[in-house]
Amino acid sequence: MLEQDIDFDAILSRYRADPFDYLAVHTSHTGRLRFKVAKGDQVEGVTGKFRHIPGTLLYELERERNPKRFTSKTNGQVDMIRADLEGNFVEAGEQIMTLKHPLTKREIIEYILRQVLTPYKAPEKAKYFFSMDLQARVDKYGLRGVSLKPGDEVLTMSLMKRDTPVYYDGEPGIIHSVYFKPGVSVEQGEPLFGVCPKDRLSLIERIITRVKAEWD
Amino acid sequence: MKDKVLIANRGEIALRIMRACQDLGLDYVVVYTAADEHSEHVRLNLDGKGNNRRAWRVASYTDPNDILAVADHTKCTAIHPGYGFFSEDFRFARRVTTRDRPLKFIGPTWEVIKELGDKINTKRVANQLGIPTIPGTDGPIYNEIDAEEIARRLLDDQAERKIHRPSILVKAAAGGGGMGIEEVHEIEQFRRVYRQVQNYAKRQFGDPGVLIEQCLRDYNHLEVQLLCSRHGERVHFGTRNCTIQSTGRQKRLEAAPGFDPTCFPYEFDGPAVLERIVEYSLKLASHVRYDNVGTWEWIVSRDGSPYLLEVNTRIQVENDVSARISYINGQHPNLLREQIRLALGDKLGYNQNDIQFRGTSIELRIVAEDAQRGFAPWIGTISRFSYPQHEWSAVYTHVPTDRPYVIPSDYDPNLALALVWGDSMAEAKERARLFLNEMVIEGSNAAGLPIVTNLQYLADNMDRLLTF
Repeated sequence: MLEQDIDFDAILSRYRADPFDYLAVHTSHTGRLRFKVAKGDQVEGVTGKFRHIPGTLLYELERERNPKRFTSKTNGQVDMIRADLEGNFVEAGEQIMTLKHPLTKREIIEYILRQVLTPYKAPEKAKYFFSMDLQARVDKYGLRGVSLKPGDEVLTMSLMKRDTPVYYDGEPGIIHSVYFKPGVSVEQGEPLFGVCPKDRLSLIERIITRVKAEWD
Repeated sequence: MKDKVLIANRGEIALRIMRACQDLGLDYVVVYTAADEHSEHVRLNLDGKGNNRRAWRVASYTDPNDILAVADHTKCTAIHPGYGFFSEDFRFARRVTTRDRPLKFIGPTWEVIKELGDKINTKRVANQLGIPTIPGTDGPIYNEIDAEEIARRLLDDQAERKIHRPSILVKAAAGGGGMGIEEVHEIEQFRRVYRQVQNYAKRQFGDPGVLIEQCLRDYNHLEVQLLCSRHGERVHFGTRNCTIQSTGRQKRLEAAPGFDPTCFPYEFDGPAVLERIVEYSLKLASHVRYDNVGTWEWIVSRDGSPYLLEVNTRIQVENDVSARISYINGQHPNLLREQIRLALGDKLGYNQNDIQFRGTSIELRIVAEDAQRGFAPWIGTISRFSYPQHEWSAVYTHVPTDRPYVIPSDYDPNLALALVWGDSMAEAKERARLFLNEMVIEGSNAAGLPIVTNLQYLADNMDRLLTF
């Protein structure tokens, strides 16, 4: 995608009209549910220099008389809450509330970059890890200090308890953004990371500068 | 009060346990994950509402807190772990049976699982009793230099004994079911393989320990099926042969009994070897006071030397292949039913003399995988799934026959277990071929390519079944 292909005004006006993400909160486990927030409450995400201060307590699940506490991962406002489930036994994966999260400048930049970077998509629904060699290079030089070329072993795909190497077959470039978490299942076709060809780095920088300048 | 069983497993074994509970007049509950919501074990149990529901969604089949929360909420009194997952986890069995609201664990006691569920410890106990085991480490190795030294010694030892093409196996110590095993022929390859297995073990099992042992060739992989009660009774249901496996050493074809005279092109005293491994298995079972269903796995070399591989302190996938050559009062036993009954405190009610062995049985593991590409798993949607019904066959499957089914990528792509039996090996093989021919599996993946299964592989390998 070239700079002239990007309609910055349209993209920014979309985010200006509704600068929020609506995040569904699902129960991570089974247990008896106790809400600790109400509709309209403001919540905080994880904070602190070392991200050591947990977010606002959202709910507890009681199992074997032990309460398990679940805190907010992000800041925002409780937009919807399933008050009818209060005190009931719930299954894992039940949607119990929605948080309305105000997007930050950084998040908006990431969303826009997703349209500019070349996505490397998950070949199968599986869990992904960077290959041992690539991970060692990332650890040594940082994410953006590692360049990729076709044929590089880039990922280990863990599917049905088997590890399969994945070889990069996209255009050469650097890994600019990573969208997967090691060990967390990714749907087939979802982007795993975004690659930036070297000749497009300046475009990326211009996008970042422009969003930073125009977004208050 | 009648017991109520929580079935902490998935797929065909969840269905088999469910039916065994129904046969015994026991109520039950199943758990499932989001990935399994279209599985038969879930769909058959979603009818009830509130606490009458029989299917409850959990985060994972390996989350004990979720599973026990469901057990408490639904007032279950016993828990059946099936195979895999928690079935050989003594900590889980201990927690289940010693918590404030204890449940009956359908399996051996946690002390027995601790002693035998760990193949490393099993090797130590067996060696103490004079039961032969495979040369190699009897504890997990975490240090690369130590590991290389052991590997070198094992390879040198085989070379000294003039063994053709010496090799060793590097295994994930916490693994099982044939996963996480690599073969090494040259010491120069060892470090790379060691790191690969260690990484795999760390990712899959959370424990990077590896085992190193001599790789035996031209062997038979046999199993002895035992059933023991909490009252000191012990019987066996003969032996079975699981030598035919995929490249990942996952079993694909099993047969009982362990040796069939028509299958050996060389001199071999099969009955004597079978008797020996049954005797050794019972000796170990007696030593640890084994008290439920269990399988003793053996490697038997061409010269008839048996080596104890491990003990599976649980019901096995292939238990029914033993049941189909066994008769009690003219009927095949149902080992799952027997397992549940004995775990809940019943006495056996029969002895070894009441069990007759007759004929041959074969189990076919039908899997969506590409045997031409290293048994690579296939994922996609099954649009048609049908199998024949004969008086000499049985099928266990979680795949629905009346609607499309998306194979979940979170688990192995096992589709069904098919059992066939006959009066002789020749008849069983012929029936197995007919069965495979009559089975229909259709479907396609995301790219529109047709489903790949191992049906053809099973048919092609039938003739070499039990021939070594």
